[in-house]
Amino acid sequence: MKEGFRQAMAWLHTWAGLIFGWLLFAIFLTGTMSYFKPEITRWSQPEIPLRTLDTATSLARAQDYLQRHAADASSWFIELPDERTPGIGVGWRGGDGPRGFTRKTLDAQTGEEIHARASRGGEFFYRFHFELQMPYPWGRWLATFAALMMLVGLVTGIITHKKLFKEFFTFRPGKGQRSWLDGHNAIGVLVLPFHLMISYSSLVIFMYMVMPASILASYGGDQNAFFNDVFSPRQDIQASGEKVPLPAFPQLYAKVLEQAPQARVIWVDVQRPGDRTAQVLFLPDGHERIAVRRGVGWRYDAADGSLAWTERPEHVPGIIGGGFYGLHMATFAGPLLRWLYFFFGLAGTAVIGTGLVMWLGKRQLKHAKSGTQPFELRLVEVLNIASMSGLLLAVVGFFWANRLLPVALDGRAGWEINVFFGVWLTALVHALLRPGRRAWGEQLALAALLWASVPLLNALTTDQGLQHALPAGDWAMAGFDLTALGCGLFLAWVAGKMLRAPVSAPRRGARPAKAAAPNTEAQAR
Amino acid sequence: MLAVALFAFAGSAALCLAMDKHFSELLGRKPGPHQLRGLRSAGWLLWALALAVAMNQRGWAVGLAEFFGVLMAGLCLWVFCLPYRPRWLLGLALAGLVLAPFSALGLI
Repeated sequence: MKEGFRQAMAWLHTWAGLIFGWLLFAIFLTGTMSYFKPEITRWSQPEIPLRTLDTATSLARAQDYLQRHAADASSWFIELPDERTPGIGVGWRGGDGPRGFTRKTLDAQTGEEIHARASRGGEFFYRFHFELQMPYPWGRWLATFAALMMLVGLVTGIITHKKLFKEFFTFRPGKGQRSWLDGHNAIGVLVLPFHLMISYSSLVIFMYMVMPASILASYGGDQNAFFNDVFSPRQDIQASGEKVPLPAFPQLYAKVLEQAPQARVIWVDVQRPGDRTAQVLFLPDGHERIAVRRGVGWRYDAADGSLAWTERPEHVPGIIGGGFYGLHMATFAGPLLRWLYFFFGLAGTAVIGTGLVMWLGKRQLKHAKSGTQPFELRLVEVLNIASMSGLLLAVVGFFWANRLLPVALDGRAGWEINVFFGVWLTALVHALLRPGRRAWGEQLALAALLWASVPLLNALTTDQGLQHALPAGDWAMAGFDLTALGCGLFLAWVAGKMLRAPVSAPRRGARPAKAAAPNTEAQAR
Repeated sequence: MLAVALFAFAGSAALCLAMDKHFSELLGRKPGPHQLRGLRSAGWLLWALALAVAMNQRGWAVGLAEFFGVLMAGLCLWVFCLPYRPRWLLGLALAGLVLAPFSALGLI
């Protein structure tokens, strides 16, 4: 009975892992990158200069700009610079930007508009992580279901793993399939708290989608009413028609600091600017604790500068939900902890990747002698290659496109994304045409070359290459280049293992992959 | 955070050595039963100490997150480097154990 249960769980682990593994690999990799979303965006828009942080000055510059360019808009927002985001983001309702807003980026010091190259930067990978470039709400649904399958994979994996404690410290390299299983188990078990946290918290983040029954029961179809009640400190205000000039934002900001000296305001929301009913809302970044707190901020009546609203009392479910949200997003993490999050994200990606490789390797062994590979194994092989090395190529393709596409190109940000998917598709075609092991080796070698030469590309196309960024202490820029270089070196090492393998001379009709692929594991010492 | 990482790493090393198989492989001799029990207690104690330092430094919530972060990182370092550089890791764990109290007290 017990063995039957374990076998059932092993079956579930195997098949849920295979079917969702390809998608989960992409979700994990892009999610891992998203821990450095502002840094990726910074690298993608090198025109935005780094300035000394001065929130009050930035606020004054932003207000001045908005007053000159959007005095008649019904609402404004200001995204203030912090250590990781150098420019001021301003926006107002109207125009043809996303969600009906016009967005501009300003120099944090001079307040002049910066015409940075159009790029989605880190935002693209962040959005892809949970929307998968699909229309709302389908991408979110699919990503959430994949997360559920990740959780299923983890739980069934723990049940299936017979010697979890006995082999806790075990990793035996150079033993083929054994080593892959050791590696898969070790990364899975040693980083298990992270894996469980990240999968479960993703379900909590989307609980309004996954378990909407109570919301539907109380609010019917009007989900927005629920969000307004629970979270949003914003209010829709009707204009009175009577004009009253706005107070200077730095003065209101000084009042915020009186209330909360530790607060770091990162977002300012202005309703009905220039009207008597205008209100200015300041939102903090919430870095001081793990649980992300919605419904906190300082809202002032613009007419007399009085505090109209400050915060909603906290409730336990809100703290728990916000806690999982903060844990998932690492909003509280300093640089060191953020790097740990990044590495554990890579560990999660590696668990999925090793699982996919093992699924195939195990089954290819059975066909090694006969020399024929059934269609389904070839299919899995192609998808493995395209979803792993292909994705690595697509990501670096995005960064190359960012540097090489003409700055004035129409729809430039969209073209970067087209290059991303174009490269990915090309990798799939390449994997179809080439024998398995060769395809791995060639794609990884190309990826290694492209990743490792990112610093060179940056140095040639901007004036912020490593030779400038390092002496200037610009760690976001230098860190990106060095991380890319590190990725390139690692991929070169893996590609070397793949390409050095003794592959029999390719003959037409008899793909060497059939014979060579089982050695994949043996070679990967 | 350094003290937490060092205590946790030394604890992981002790818990690994507390297993018969790893003890013999790493130290090249058979352990006595008391040694294994001692190592196991020491390992758990060092982990608890790391957790206590983390919570003391950063509060329970962030402290817990940091503790798990550096613990998992140390475990990965230990397990994946063990087949290649066992001596080096043992030295690191020992050095960490020596330095950790000074780091916890803010002396380094």
